[in-house]
Amino acid sequence: MFQFSRIPALALWALGCFQISCSLIATAAETKPIDFNRDIRPILSDKCFACHGFDKGHRQADLRLDVAEGAFDNTRSSIAITPGDISKSEVWSRITTTDPDAIMPPPNSHKELTGAERELIKRWIEEGAPYAKHWSFEPPQAVAVPNTSHPVQNEIDAFLGQKLEERNLKAAPVAAKEILIRRLSFALTGLPPSTADVKACLDDNSDEAYSKLVEKYLDSPQFGEEMARHWLDVARYADTHGMHLDNERQTWAYRDWVIRAFNQNLPFDQFTLAQLAGDLLPDPTEDQLIATGFNRCNVTTSEGGSINDELLYRYAVDRTSTTISAWMGLTGGCAVCHDHKFDPISQREFYQMYAFFNSAADPGFDGNALLTQPVLKLNMPEIRTQQQAIDEKLAAIQTQIDEKAATVAYQDPATAEPKSETMMVENIWMEDDFPATGRVFASPGATTQYVESLEGGAVFSGKRAVKRTDAGLAQDVWDQAKEPLLLPQGASLFAYVWLDPANPPKTIMLQYHRSGWQHRAVWGDYEAIQWGAANTTERVGMGPLPEVGKWVRLEFPVEKVGLNPGDGLTGFALTQFGGTVYWDKVGVAGAVNPATDPQRSFQAWWQQIAGKDVAGIPDSLKELAKGGPKPEVDAALLQRYYVQAICESTKANFTDLRAQTETLKQERQRLEDTIPSTFVFKDMPSPRESFIMLRGAYDKKGEPVQPEVFAFLPPLQKADPNARATRLDLAKWLVAPNHPLTARVTVNRFWQQFFGVGLVKSSYDFGSQGELPSHPELLDWLAVRFQTSGWDVKQLVRLIVHSAAFQRDSHVDQELLANDFENRFYARGPRFRLDAEQIRDNALKVSGLLIDKMGGKGVKPYQPANIWEPVGFAGSNTRFYSQDKGESLYRRSIYTFLKRTAPPPFMSNFDGPNREQFCTRRERSNTPLQALQLMNDVQHVEAARVLAQRILKDGGADDSSKIRFIFQEVLSRQPADDELQIVQLQLNAHRQRYQADKDAATKLVAHGESSRDESLDVTELAAFTLVSSMMLNLDETLTRN
Amino acid sequence: MDPRFEYQVNQTRRHFFGDSGLKLGGLALAAMGLSNGSAMADTSSGMVHPPLPGLPHFKPSAKAIIYLHMNGGPSQLDLWDHKPGLKDYFDKDLPASVQGGQRLSTMTSGQTRFPCAPSKFKFERKGESGTWVNTDILPHTAKIVDDITLIKSINTNAINHDPACTFVMTGSEVPGKASLGSWLAYGLGSENNDLPAFVVFTPQFPNDSNGQALYNRMWGSGFLPTRYNGVALRGSGDPVLYLPDPEGVARGDRRQMLDALQALNQKTLQRFGDPETQTRISQYEMAFRMQSSVPDLTRIEDESAATLELYGPDVTKPGTFAHSALLARRLVERGVRVVQLFHRGWDQHGSLPYQISNQCRQTDQASAALVMDLKQRGLLDETLVIWGGEFGRTVYSQGTLTKDDYGRDHHPRNFCMWLAGGGIRRGYVHGETDDFSYNIVKDPVSINDLNATLLHCMGIDHSRFSYKFQGLDARLTGVESPSVVKALLA
Repeated sequence: MFQFSRIPALALWALGCFQISCSLIATAAETKPIDFNRDIRPILSDKCFACHGFDKGHRQADLRLDVAEGAFDNTRSSIAITPGDISKSEVWSRITTTDPDAIMPPPNSHKELTGAERELIKRWIEEGAPYAKHWSFEPPQAVAVPNTSHPVQNEIDAFLGQKLEERNLKAAPVAAKEILIRRLSFALTGLPPSTADVKACLDDNSDEAYSKLVEKYLDSPQFGEEMARHWLDVARYADTHGMHLDNERQTWAYRDWVIRAFNQNLPFDQFTLAQLAGDLLPDPTEDQLIATGFNRCNVTTSEGGSINDELLYRYAVDRTSTTISAWMGLTGGCAVCHDHKFDPISQREFYQMYAFFNSAADPGFDGNALLTQPVLKLNMPEIRTQQQAIDEKLAAIQTQIDEKAATVAYQDPATAEPKSETMMVENIWMEDDFPATGRVFASPGATTQYVESLEGGAVFSGKRAVKRTDAGLAQDVWDQAKEPLLLPQGASLFAYVWLDPANPPKTIMLQYHRSGWQHRAVWGDYEAIQWGAANTTERVGMGPLPEVGKWVRLEFPVEKVGLNPGDGLTGFALTQFGGTVYWDKVGVAGAVNPATDPQRSFQAWWQQIAGKDVAGIPDSLKELAKGGPKPEVDAALLQRYYVQAICESTKANFTDLRAQTETLKQERQRLEDTIPSTFVFKDMPSPRESFIMLRGAYDKKGEPVQPEVFAFLPPLQKADPNARATRLDLAKWLVAPNHPLTARVTVNRFWQQFFGVGLVKSSYDFGSQGELPSHPELLDWLAVRFQTSGWDVKQLVRLIVHSAAFQRDSHVDQELLANDFENRFYARGPRFRLDAEQIRDNALKVSGLLIDKMGGKGVKPYQPANIWEPVGFAGSNTRFYSQDKGESLYRRSIYTFLKRTAPPPFMSNFDGPNREQFCTRRERSNTPLQALQLMNDVQHVEAARVLAQRILKDGGADDSSKIRFIFQEVLSRQPADDELQIVQLQLNAHRQRYQADKDAATKLVAHGESSRDESLDVTELAAFTLVSSMMLNLDETLTRN
Repeated sequence: MDPRFEYQVNQTRRHFFGDSGLKLGGLALAAMGLSNGSAMADTSSGMVHPPLPGLPHFKPSAKAIIYLHMNGGPSQLDLWDHKPGLKDYFDKDLPASVQGGQRLSTMTSGQTRFPCAPSKFKFERKGESGTWVNTDILPHTAKIVDDITLIKSINTNAINHDPACTFVMTGSEVPGKASLGSWLAYGLGSENNDLPAFVVFTPQFPNDSNGQALYNRMWGSGFLPTRYNGVALRGSGDPVLYLPDPEGVARGDRRQMLDALQALNQKTLQRFGDPETQTRISQYEMAFRMQSSVPDLTRIEDESAATLELYGPDVTKPGTFAHSALLARRLVERGVRVVQLFHRGWDQHGSLPYQISNQCRQTDQASAALVMDLKQRGLLDETLVIWGGEFGRTVYSQGTLTKDDYGRDHHPRNFCMWLAGGGIRRGYVHGETDDFSYNIVKDPVSINDLNATLLHCMGIDHSRFSYKFQGLDARLTGVESPSVVKALLA
């Protein structure tokens, strides 16, 4: 494209040669000596290497032209290239022949050399055909900063100035301050500047005004949000698994970590180590483990019929390709099936790289689960603080209990004289709480409901009772008992129940679990609940419902439901069909001898639990309890626990205190349950063997391979030379000072972020098929500087935005467009459409709707009906979109829930990737569908209305000042007179129209869930809503200028 | 995208919109206060979706494609691939020599037996071509067998839905590539300035069928610029996202708002000279026109009673397959390049006879009607219609097996598709399978062969139709060397 300076682009187009991209660059060297990498390699790569390159599998005629040894090989019958002599170079005769059978490239390749390309090859051979290693595979050199006569703000401009001079391009002056502030604000925060910031900067006439704003934005939390957005495209982060059911996955802590890392200015080398090998760092921090989520962001599936090995293989390939691309800017995917045709990556080397990732511990089938192992439960400091407060309260209550226990008299009946007699007793299983030694759950619904009083009066006993209301089958269940509840001799089961007269159930049921749920007693409609075989002890009819509106004791002998004295129960359930039911005091009545009853005799209990781990016993007493009764041991503390927690004759003294304890423990658990987890990357305990996979087929194993890096790059330095290479070795290798790619690829991506296009346009490909850098010396200088600064991202950003190139006016005329269509020489300032997230965030920000809360689970803002549903799988938990309410509608777009198979339209409509694969560069399309969305999407209509409310309240008295206010808020500048007039005319028309049709006005201002300011005149509000909408749709609004 | 291509497109646009754009500043001000309309709403004769230079490569036999994708894997054994000899194999194991140790889906690879399930349906020879077809549940399609080419030897590499669908639509099992429709929109553009070049429908399917997920990537542009994404016209709600003006905004209001917007944008263009501003001005006008052209498209009241009857009673219900099929015809009539219908629910692992009958009830009449309707309007000669899924189904039963009830697992090794119109041979059956419809015995056609043939009909040489992506010349037809299946061509 460089040669377009003198040739009209359209003329070339007419020749239909648009597909030749790299080779055109080559002709830049009309007067300079030939440079292999700049002038020749692109031609050979595009036209020759497919058959005469690195890929030995597809190499033709056993000839390779990618290295001098191949081209100069004089053992061949005809030498391909004889340096300095085209007449003895077969290459020359083959590319110039007219014989269709001999011409290269062959016609069936659909590749052709242009005359200019042939001329270059001729000159190159004549100049001795010097070869050089591909430019990006040599380490960047610390180049001296050149001199230039162009205006220079910093070193960047010195490098750029040189090229401007060469091309006779005149640099534009610095942009107007308002434009610059806006440009900077979007570049660093992704948001428009506040009016206050604009004013402060305009009022500040010092030389540091701009720098101050730069520092302010670099320090703002929005900096991290803006920077993270770009990296999340690379990391292919999303909130669903991506294939088949495309269910939700919980890994947003990774997204939040990326934001945090940029805000904390985590050096890029640390950023790298954490994501690729955080788990292998010594004593990894929580953040370092969260960061490994990078390699869990790939799409996964659980589709039935898939083959585990194939899935594992695909995930490892994805991780390998993503790493190769993200850090090295190379296209590893080619070498999955065969040796890379253009870059020196053999298939073996690809699989050696793959071997670093092939031992992943995550399964092939994701289970369609929110959390697919391995995951990390987050350490949420605020929740831990709350839990600590609870722990302190618990300790205080325990002290009270202990003190009281010391005062309660207890005589073990086993040692009392005279010996005790058998007596009738009641053992209470549930009073205020279910036994602590099992699990409580409620169905349907999340938790068991307790009440301390009911419509008809008090609970039956203790402090509270269980309540449940449901239209159908419902129950509160206690199960998974660690310590069975024993049925004494002559036992009968009982429970107290109160049925709501206003809403009686159809049926109530008591269920008991011994080895299974096979013991049920039913009152009321026998058929309503069909569990258990009818007319057996699995479902025993007990007669009609008990009387409503009073506490009734239900009681029956255990044999009635197929149980026997001596049995141990491990669960019971309080069940109903419909209505409102209260339950209280559940237990068993029977005959026991206190001397042998574990509920009454300390010694008997101790004997019973000997050798067992029993839940509920304080840790300090566990060993003692497990050891069983030993006369020589002081058991006073254990007995004190028994008295307060177990013993039927004494524990009632502690009911209140223990209830408090239980409540606190439940609260603690509730807090625990709110703590999210996140996907992390781990290896299996022993590595999975890796093989070259023939033709990229998961089941065609070739030779085994060990983890290793590409041979054409610096060697791997292993931490332990004798051990297998680790991911940590790999990560350290990527950021080692002599690695030629990582720093270049990274600074180039940042450059692309700020200027719209990278110094290497193909930011995803630094290989020989990629484009050459427009400013190789600048790229190298930036790369070296980035490395030597300690990979300081903020410093690099600071440098870029302080360059004159970044600050120039963006005006372009036809001549400059023809000379430098894409602004690759930076004679003008960058100007391009805002990204998807920025467009939405901008509307929220200028309207005042934006909620700046950071982090957390993805939110679901407005979305038209039928985005998820038409593509959703019947069993998917992301089939139906359920829009959030309140502030979630107005969060920054980076926090929007992203479903991969149906991304939110505000993203996909504006070139946001679906995050199925890594994406290092977004397109910037310009379509009618975008116009429709910005005019008609409720998110934007609402923003326009809320902005209009601000105008009417804060915009001053007359139309003119209101219009000035809108310009200031939306565009950060004042309108020109004719602009003012255009908007005034629009306003007049709308005003007239809505005055005549108040109904239409009322409808227009009703869009969106935020409440409308009722104090404002509807007609005026409607008219200004459309004016605001117009302003939010302006090219200037949608553009980072 | 290549900057020079971008530039050329912009030049075209500048040419196209240049006049109206330059007039705009003055006109718009003059237009203020008018209740409706202005010079800017006029359509121009230039192309909004221009083809790539040099395309088509040669004279196409079809100008447009309508692709009826039957998602889930329709059973070739129960629709087209008649195997009368199977009745003797009822509940007998598929001979190991036939099965040949091929990969099975893990849904049946654990089965101890592979009992054959003959189709319960009645097959008859139809038309002059004498093509075998299930006349129980394809009575309407049976009437058009002389207009179609039936391929019995399509095969794919993938055995699961997601990769197989991705493969059939993008030529690759791995997500990220461009879909067939996007390739065509990119290469050939569209003749309609008021509608997208590539339109997609996802009609309703039977409630009790096993509906697999669809993926936007099946009509996504992948690595191509997103403007080549298929635009999914929706069955319920607005056919195009965000199409209608919000309540309280009438057409005249929108025009007025746009006049001010464009006048200010014109000033921006003058000030900065960015061609993107020019494009944006034209796209807002396109959006305004679409707000009329799309409702016009969906206004099927102007169809004759005979036409509506042809498509069947569902045709008047938005969101049905029949309604979408009729809209497909109206779209190609308007010059839209590619229309795809994705009908789900063809995944019959169990209760196949019952479910596939329901599937056909929704699609048979309208699919046949579409071909007949195009034919009677003289459009079939320039429109290529494709019917088919992502793979076939096994001869052996999965789950319950009786003579009237059985299920079938995924079978990638051979399945059936039919093509009609635009350059395709009529009344022809291509390819043959063995007695169990388990292996191809004659004329295999791979997905890449099929796609190469479709491109050929559209005037494109697939081997010369590529896009630089990740260092490769990416093609719809992959890196192997598929070939155009000449036998399918008229």
